[in-house]
Amino acid sequence: MSRPPEAPPRRIAILGNPNAGKSTLFNALTGLRQKVGNYPGVTVEKKTGMIDLPSGRRAEVVDLPGSYSLQPASPDEMIVRDVLLGLQSDTPPPDLIVFVVDATNLDRHMYLALQVVELGRPMLLVLNMMDAAAALSMRIDTVALERQLGVPVVGISAAKGEGLDALRAMMDRDVEPSTRHFREWPAHLMRVIDRLERRLPERADLPQRARRDVAVAMLLDRGEDDALARHVPADALQDARMLAHRLDEFSPNWRSGDVTGRYDAISALVAESVSAPPGERRDTRSEAIDRVLTHRVWGPIIFVVLMGAVFQSVFAWAQPLMDLIDWAVSAVGSMLGQAMPPGALRSLLVDGVIAGVGTTLTFVPQIAILFLFLSLLEDSGYMARAAFIMDRVMAKVGLSGRSFIPLLSSFACAIPGIMATRSIDNRRDRITTIMIAPFMSCSARLPVYALIIGAFVPNRWVGFLTLPGITLFAMYFIGIVAAVAVAWALKRTVLRGGPPLYVMELPPYRRPSLRSVLTTVRERSLLFTRNAGTVILLITVVLWFLASYPKGSEAVRAIEAQRVAALQAGDTAQARALELRVAGTNLEQSFAGRAGRFIEPAIAPLGFDWRIGIGLITSLAAREVMVATMATVFNIGSADEDVHPLRQSLRDAVDTRTGLKAYTPLTGLSLMVFYVLACQCMSTLAVVRRETNSWRWPIFMLVMMNSLAWLASFAVYQGGRALGYGG
Amino acid sequence: MAAHGSGERSLDAMTVGERGIIASLDCEPTIARRLMELGLTPGTVVELIRRAPLGDPLEITVRGVHLWLRRSEASRIDVSPA
Repeated sequence: MSRPPEAPPRRIAILGNPNAGKSTLFNALTGLRQKVGNYPGVTVEKKTGMIDLPSGRRAEVVDLPGSYSLQPASPDEMIVRDVLLGLQSDTPPPDLIVFVVDATNLDRHMYLALQVVELGRPMLLVLNMMDAAAALSMRIDTVALERQLGVPVVGISAAKGEGLDALRAMMDRDVEPSTRHFREWPAHLMRVIDRLERRLPERADLPQRARRDVAVAMLLDRGEDDALARHVPADALQDARMLAHRLDEFSPNWRSGDVTGRYDAISALVAESVSAPPGERRDTRSEAIDRVLTHRVWGPIIFVVLMGAVFQSVFAWAQPLMDLIDWAVSAVGSMLGQAMPPGALRSLLVDGVIAGVGTTLTFVPQIAILFLFLSLLEDSGYMARAAFIMDRVMAKVGLSGRSFIPLLSSFACAIPGIMATRSIDNRRDRITTIMIAPFMSCSARLPVYALIIGAFVPNRWVGFLTLPGITLFAMYFIGIVAAVAVAWALKRTVLRGGPPLYVMELPPYRRPSLRSVLTTVRERSLLFTRNAGTVILLITVVLWFLASYPKGSEAVRAIEAQRVAALQAGDTAQARALELRVAGTNLEQSFAGRAGRFIEPAIAPLGFDWRIGIGLITSLAAREVMVATMATVFNIGSADEDVHPLRQSLRDAVDTRTGLKAYTPLTGLSLMVFYVLACQCMSTLAVVRRETNSWRWPIFMLVMMNSLAWLASFAVYQGGRALGYGG
Repeated sequence: MAAHGSGERSLDAMTVGERGIIASLDCEPTIARRLMELGLTPGTVVELIRRAPLGDPLEITVRGVHLWLRRSEASRIDVSPA
């Protein structure tokens, strides 16, 4: 292909309502040459791809998030507005807008299209799903549409790949922007808007042609529009708010002044250019499916079965893959261990770096499997139904139906659960959901529960249940109660806001495309490994250092000498026992060990001693590390195969100062409650930082969860002692 | 809530399968604007398709699109008989 190297690629943006087939078109145009990232400062996905236009010129195509209006109601829509108005610094306004509408539903899809036409930027109107329109015997007069809109119109069927060549040819051409206007703000409002427009400064970051739209946005803003606050002087915004306030006194409905006019224009437009057979167009297939899937009785039953299946799959299918990754990572570790001389570098690589990579990778199967199901549910159209069914339940804690699936996923692991909150369009709801997701008892807590229950809870029958079973259930229940309480509190304090609107489109059921599902799975897994992975790796290395240094104290050398002596005497059993003591003593005298002693006064009121303190610190790497740490502290080596000796050691552990049993069943209960509520997972913090784009929320989470855990354990332990259960 | 003249009542009070014509939206102004942008403008035909299994939210169709919204909003949208 010959193209002059200096020709800059054409910037083309694909835009449209959700469910217009935008992403299908984007995939069809760009194939696998896509790049997924984020718009800076927000977690709105930015998808771009390069294509070759017929003339040989290249174009950079960006797939803007699906939107309903240029008056934004979600972070996604705000990005779209900012890009189109030229307020988004990293993404300059496109040279050409490819606006995609569902040809079978121009009535609704044309609303945003008219807003965009009014922007006066070069634009193509793409009528997608022409095959479906033909099946409905609809005839669309594209010439009439072009005449009325002042922009070129092309009919395609993105899913079937029809009409794409014609579209590509049109994307290559220069398009004159339209000069049409459809909005009819009443005269008195136009005067207000003009006045605001004149208040705007002459600045490079406020493009001339966008000034009127910025003025309208200022007037409608309720103080939540971050981009406006960045681009418009505070006193002008103040002015706008005062004017809006005065208008409110005149007529409360002025804010919708342009909406009706635009819909009237659409009715005229559709009447002139679309001829459809009389009678109503209904999607009878989707309606038939909905009669079952959202049925009063069957709906919830099918929902529970589906969610059970998804949850079970994440749990069950991920486990063998996680085991495989574990095995591979430790194989690499031991290979490296054999190839390298013992020493600090080997230890750093094997126990720090490779362990960190391993921790990151073990999350990938859960993320991949969960997003496989989530994108199947999303692309098929079921997700909106799930939110419809669960909304009432979630409304009780101030959230909406969309929060349910991320929270359910968090019972397997909070990390994919938190990543799944991107489908929540209300920012406050999304943050609230992220903040409470780690309270759901994840699979990494199970080994800790199992160890403590096995050590301290007698296996007795209580009615038709066993005491260990009831205890385990209680732990899940405590987590849920804490989540509800925290959500309630957050929504009334730091995340309080204007009255939210919960409204959601129920799209027609569609067969999900395997390619788009697999793309989602790949993107999510990569995004996690690349971004959260680096933080996890870093913290693992830090934790490795804390647990390994300083080395070779007096006490360790003495035990080491005994071990060599025992080995020479041929007493391998004794040598093995001493080897374990070396490991235990080393950990005790490391920074982590000293930290365990250091925090002892803080955790003593909860019934924990310094040995548990070490476990609390090392389990930051991952909660289940607690089990291995306790095994090392109690000199029993690996607890991987058999936790029975460790359980016995916990029961027999003695407080050296008092000579009494160090741990009682009450200690066990207190410790489990602590593990339910405490934020002891750096991977969660890394992913929260990634998903909220700030350190503020992960720090808040850490402090909030650990304070709550401390208070609850304190209440359990001291309350239990007061009641005489101290033992 | 707005006065219910000439057979007007709220969208929430409709029976499943019933149709009506939107008369007015008495919601908070920003919410009213959004609902109108989604197609619920006065004069538009709306049909109540079903109530969610727990009674809330409601599924409606308007301009050929299925939407769900909560009763708290639906109760502030007045409809007249179709």
